Amino acid sequence: MAYRRRFRALFDRARLDAEIQEELQAHIEMRTADNIASGMSPEHARRDALLKFGNPVGMKEQVVAMDAALGMESFFRDVRYAFRQLRKSPGFALTAILTLALGIGGMTAVFSVVESVLLRPLPFQNAGRLVILHESILHDLHQFNVTAPDILTFQRESKAFSGVGGYIGANYVATGAGAPFEAQAERVTAFVFPVLGVSPLLGRTFTQQEDDTSAPVTVLSYALWKDRFQSDPNVLGKTIDLDKRPYTVIGVMPRNFEFPLDAGRFSGRDLWVPMSFTPVEKNRQGDDFDYGAVARLKPGVSIAQAQSDVDRIIAGIQASYPAKYRVQLHGYFRTLKDEVVHNARPLFLILLAAVGLILLIACVNLANLLLVRAATRKQEFGMRMALGAARLTMLRQLLTESLVLSTLGGFTGIAIAVGLVRAAAIYMPDSLPRLNEIAVRWPVFAIAFLLIALTGIACGMAPGLATMRTDPLDALRSGNQSSGQSRSQHSLRSGLVAAEVAMATILLVASGLLLRSFAKMLETNPGFQPQHVLTALLVLPRHDYSSQEKVADFYRQLHAQINALPGVSDMGFSTNIPIVGANSGRLITPQGYVRPAGDGWLITSNYLVEGDYFQTLHIPLIRGRYFDAGDEQSGAPLVTIISQSFADHYFRGKNPIGRHVKVGVLSSPTPWITVVGVVGDIKQAALDQPTVVQMYAPVSQGPADMGPLAAQTYVMGGAMVVVVRTVQDPKAMAAAVEKVVHRLNPLVPVTRVATMEEVVAATESSRRFNTAILTGFATIALLLSLLGIYGVMAYSVVERTREIAIRMALGSTRLAVLLKTLRYALLLTAVGMVAGVMCSLAMTRFLGGLLYGVRPLDGWSIGGATIVLLSCAVFAAWWPARRAASIDPMRALRSE
Amino acid sequence: MARNDLQGTLDLLVLKALSQLGSMHGYGILLHIHRASDDLLRVEEGSLYPALHRIEQSGWISSEWGASENNRRAKYYRLTAAGRKELLTAEKSWEQLAKGIRAILRYA
Repeated sequence: MAYRRRFRALFDRARLDAEIQEELQAHIEMRTADNIASGMSPEHARRDALLKFGNPVGMKEQVVAMDAALGMESFFRDVRYAFRQLRKSPGFALTAILTLALGIGGMTAVFSVVESVLLRPLPFQNAGRLVILHESILHDLHQFNVTAPDILTFQRESKAFSGVGGYIGANYVATGAGAPFEAQAERVTAFVFPVLGVSPLLGRTFTQQEDDTSAPVTVLSYALWKDRFQSDPNVLGKTIDLDKRPYTVIGVMPRNFEFPLDAGRFSGRDLWVPMSFTPVEKNRQGDDFDYGAVARLKPGVSIAQAQSDVDRIIAGIQASYPAKYRVQLHGYFRTLKDEVVHNARPLFLILLAAVGLILLIACVNLANLLLVRAATRKQEFGMRMALGAARLTMLRQLLTESLVLSTLGGFTGIAIAVGLVRAAAIYMPDSLPRLNEIAVRWPVFAIAFLLIALTGIACGMAPGLATMRTDPLDALRSGNQSSGQSRSQHSLRSGLVAAEVAMATILLVASGLLLRSFAKMLETNPGFQPQHVLTALLVLPRHDYSSQEKVADFYRQLHAQINALPGVSDMGFSTNIPIVGANSGRLITPQGYVRPAGDGWLITSNYLVEGDYFQTLHIPLIRGRYFDAGDEQSGAPLVTIISQSFADHYFRGKNPIGRHVKVGVLSSPTPWITVVGVVGDIKQAALDQPTVVQMYAPVSQGPADMGPLAAQTYVMGGAMVVVVRTVQDPKAMAAAVEKVVHRLNPLVPVTRVATMEEVVAATESSRRFNTAILTGFATIALLLSLLGIYGVMAYSVVERTREIAIRMALGSTRLAVLLKTLRYALLLTAVGMVAGVMCSLAMTRFLGGLLYGVRPLDGWSIGGATIVLLSCAVFAAWWPARRAASIDPMRALRSE
Repeated sequence: MARNDLQGTLDLLVLKALSQLGSMHGYGILLHIHRASDDLLRVEEGSLYPALHRIEQSGWISSEWGASENNRRAKYYRLTAAGRKELLTAEKSWEQLAKGIRAILRYA
């Protein structure tokens, strides 16, 4: 009842007035009636009633004042008052609103990305209990996945996990569903889907029996079902040919299902097939740590319990290794969430910190602006206090004003954030996980509203309290001139500006470090020349190319035909190309190399090449020779080309030509391979990533290198990247190359067509993004703090007009005044900068992983930030200083 | 210490009057206090109505429009549960105050 009235009163003051009027009127009538009843004449009765009642208008006001609704009404009055004040100084209002919009908008945008990626649970049932298992070998393999037999061991023996599923990527040439294409598939054990706890949209997932019997069944992704089967609701039971083997569709996964969730361009799987380990895989003990293992913790099992369970199982696995391995195996696990967002977390936290600093700077700026405003309105406040306004009322008004500002700024900011987040989802580098899930959600809005309220209160408090301390008499007497009160306010404002400068310094130093890292990355020699090179991935259907001879024959023909194209200068093939990463690690033993005690296995990354691969990419020959046609003859002696770092590391400065290397350990039944050449190292992954030693072999010798047993079962080069060096724009050759491939075999998909420069640029994009965004933040911070410096200087000049005028009248030169003002601004900046540099010394190490080629304590970045800030500070203080210097002492003093 | 002041006294009178009357308009409350105190206490209209509205905002009384004895529209007030509780405390604290004052008066 009371609330309803209170609300109604808010919007219907007239009605409230009328009600009170009626109530009071009723009282008068009743008394009049009683008076008449006791014998008075009607006139007399009425006069007596009115007389007793007193002044009805005054009383009505009193009664109205009692209604708490008036508390609300006065709030609205304050809001209206605040709007009026703001409209009077649109420049101030706009600056304040934009400043806050930047701060709150930036914070909201970054936070919604953080919320989407880091905080939201993954779209699996009870995702917090899902973990990924890893194995590592002391000194050798870190954070590797697990081997195929170990997945089975974990599944069988683990007590801590309710299920363990294994998975590994597999590519197939898919036919029978539209044009042939290379399907990105994932082989998964029957446990994977139940462990994840996701049900299919249509049909079912694999049974253990299908896994065991290598049944040709498949579960489609939503995208594939939509694109290739036109979202056919009767798709179950239809078939799709994978490497010419017909697979029956048994299920379709929901739209948002994605597994495995790797950060990268090719994470979306087209379909899933049963793992169905081959006998070779099952026996590959202690080798091929490439299989993913996802497990679900049993309810109530702690991390420590699970770890000791894993330790127990790993000990058993290691005990089963032949003694000659001499390795120390470790097992551990990370939550799936950690796994997915692990690499992105530092970046996001840094962005959050950066944008937090911006918000702080924005707040400080606003507080400062409000302080200045409060100081210029001191007379007004003094007057109102003298007229009896309560200090609390004025504090309330100032708070309302800053809340109005923060609300306007905040809502603008939220609108900006929504736009930014949309853009971010498009422009953020593919290397970030969960991109498709990024959106502004309600928790973010809640945080944004909280920020708005906090900013408003925090910013309004400083000027509010300063005003509360104002002595009305003093304020009125001294007019606009400085007094003891405003001196303390002045140092408060100066302190705030110094704090702003300090925060901007931190951001500038950080962005300087990233800019330097970026420059270093661009300077990095990739070890080859990416210009004028076209790349494309070819996948030969296994069915058609069942022997090494057939594969070799295909590439020989393709080589000849592409070479014959006009505009092609060189071409070659390789199982992998630089920069894209994903190298196969191969265990090797160089002849005569004595492994230092405690060292583990020797691993090299391995490239099988064909044609003029080195010449095409311009990978320089340092010693010996490139591969030639003779090496591709059957029965030719086994040869290899190693990278410079390989030679340095394993042959220790001796001439490696003519020396030997073998695959596996010394006792492995593999042949010795002769080193015939040394080439420069190439960057295997992004330019800012470390490299592993490299080894090349002709693809035709690939199986023989693996020893007699493998030579009969392996076909190598089934998937190769073709590299073509062109005279003109390589992009223009793409269609011609594809045509040649399809003329040879129309069933060979040509995918990932890109110029080598595009491949390089793609890996640069994440650093480019980090650098651009942090530099953007630093620029905003710089601008805001300049605004702060300008504001404080400009105001202090106005405030000290009389003082300056007196100085000038006493003989101070204009130059002296100019320099004195500038010196003060520089002092302010310097104090802030020193504090900022101190903080950044402590903080830049958190940038660690984002840096490349520079140390966190980089003199150039700190020096650069210092110079930028100082020169900008001079610029910002220049105009107020000029104004101070141009004061006309006579006029200024006379106007007093 | 007993909370007491003039406002508190008026509140107590209004609450007590309403607890005795049930539901009554401002004029009736005024007359009741007047009569029940044997003309000793005279509450001014100027204090009564603001007090009624304030007490209503405190949630101790509620109001509704009704018809008076001679069929005119008047606003009737009645005690709420919270008001009844408040009345008890107010009465108690008044007793204490009165006791205190009496003691002081006797001491002389």
